[in-house]
Amino acid sequence: MFKLILKRLLTLPFVIVSITFITFAVGYAAPGDPILAMLGGRTDPEAVERLRHAYGLDLPWQEQYLDYLTGLLQGDLGLSFRYQGRPVTDIIGGGISVSISLGSAALLLSLAVGIPVGLWAAFHQNSFGDRASMALMLILFSVPSFVMIAVLRWINYQLYAHGLPSLPVAGWGRPEHWVMPVIVLASASMGYIARLSRISMLEVQKQDYVRTANAKGLRPRRVIWIHAFRNAALPIITVIAPSIAFLVTGAFVVENLFSIPGIGYLSVQAIQQRDYPVIQSTTVILALTVLLMNLITDLLYSLIDPRVRVEG
Amino acid sequence: MSTAETSLKPTQIETGTAPRFVRRLFHNRLTLISALVFVAIVVLALLGPLLYSQSPIRPDYSAINAFPSADHLLGTDNLGRDTLARLMVGLRISLIVALYVEALNIVLGATLGLLAGYYGGWLDILVTRIADMLFAFPGLLLAILVAAIFGPAVTERFGGIGRLLLVAGSLSLVSWPLMARLVRSQVLVLREQEFVTAARSLGADRVWIILRHLVPNTASLVVVASTLDIASVVVNEAVLSLLGLGIQPPDPSIGKMITEAMPFLEANAWQVFFPSAALMVIVLTVSFLGDGLRDASDPSNVT
Repeated sequence: MFKLILKRLLTLPFVIVSITFITFAVGYAAPGDPILAMLGGRTDPEAVERLRHAYGLDLPWQEQYLDYLTGLLQGDLGLSFRYQGRPVTDIIGGGISVSISLGSAALLLSLAVGIPVGLWAAFHQNSFGDRASMALMLILFSVPSFVMIAVLRWINYQLYAHGLPSLPVAGWGRPEHWVMPVIVLASASMGYIARLSRISMLEVQKQDYVRTANAKGLRPRRVIWIHAFRNAALPIITVIAPSIAFLVTGAFVVENLFSIPGIGYLSVQAIQQRDYPVIQSTTVILALTVLLMNLITDLLYSLIDPRVRVEG
Repeated sequence: MSTAETSLKPTQIETGTAPRFVRRLFHNRLTLISALVFVAIVVLALLGPLLYSQSPIRPDYSAINAFPSADHLLGTDNLGRDTLARLMVGLRISLIVALYVEALNIVLGATLGLLAGYYGGWLDILVTRIADMLFAFPGLLLAILVAAIFGPAVTERFGGIGRLLLVAGSLSLVSWPLMARLVRSQVLVLREQEFVTAARSLGADRVWIILRHLVPNTASLVVVASTLDIASVVVNEAVLSLLGLGIQPPDPSIGKMITEAMPFLEANAWQVFFPSAALMVIVLTVSFLGDGLRDASDPSNVT
């Protein structure tokens, strides 16, 4: 167990350096001089130098990277290129909590629907309900989010046109603003989790210990929940981390199409203004978040599964 | 049924592996249909714009948000631009991007994976480390970053073609490491097998072993992985474009067509429906085709 944690923690610096260094390098290689762009027509050499110094862009790249890393550790994401002297945290700070609440709601929904549907389908293997629900989950998994949004908006419009209650198509703040974005964001991971839960349950039901439990006359309910489900739950836990990776790309699409002021929306706005430090910060924040969630999932897994603990 | 037929004819002359492979591939009805639909899409994207008289860019002010008609076969969008004309050009762009990405994946990913797996040592460490570094970015994040930062300058300097290549390059950053990893693990297994040892003991040099034994034995893996990857590349290109990071207006892109038409859903839902349907058809046919190729190339499925 400790060996496993230690092993994971030892690879952590490598991954963190990869993420920060690649992000930094892409920004460093960005074409054009941001300082000149910022000053527009004014090319007073002294002002240029002063601003370049304020942004730390007069330093050699190693020092710039180190400054960037130490800033990151202190929660300082650097300065905006677009708004002179305005820190990036100021621009995307508010979006982080919006994106996290949206992402958590979507993850909870996909687990709350995906696992029961998958288990139900496994218990009714090869029935019509099994096939229909799994086909639906496959569709949820494979239809891209922006197509899903189009479908939902069309249904919503039909409701509206027939005088039925409908949802707002954009905006943020009221509870009804959550419904469509959360459904769209949750759908891909929901389909994935449901199909995996089904397969995993079917796999466990074939195991000897389940047969033994049944043979010794335990009540089916007890066999399912005490013997089968606990083991079937293991692979399901491992997909939580990849599901979060789905949510990251999904958040960009969903936030932009529903005008939700999350981190994905704010960074696309910043991209249109060529404010590169903002998109760099978004990349680092999201990548590190996913990294952290991966780590937590791994540790959780080793806590639950004694085999991993021994081998680790 | 035809399985029984073939086994009843032991004297049947095999005409070589290629025709046998094709027969096995299209024995699956779904694969055959997918292949035909995919060919139809490619033909439509390549020849369609030449045969169809409507412009994908020029607006027709007399037909704003028009329904399908004889003039505009699939209707028009909110600016009066022909949906079919835009869709065909959009499909062409999607397919070209997919082609570039898969070419990069094969040239970069498959080659590096093969060399890393075969030679091992520092090359292996280097390739797996770079792949691991790129894997650290979830989803499309790295592609979004690269497309966002280099996009404006590339468009200014190299125009639409440059932008297309940038989109392909940034999407490849997300997918070549996977290809390298797949090929590498296959080569690690292959190089320990008897026929490779036998070839080496017969005096075959490394180039011969790579070209004669490793490349043919990883080819089916590469083809299957590339085919399946086309589906996600087409979707990812649409995502980049709808975020404003991919193909720039007025050039049509499927992702942009769907999202730009969404506010006009009430006036004319067809302009959202057709590009969405086209996208789903590509994703599904390519996935079925990839599955068919995998089944047909797997020797354990030989009947």
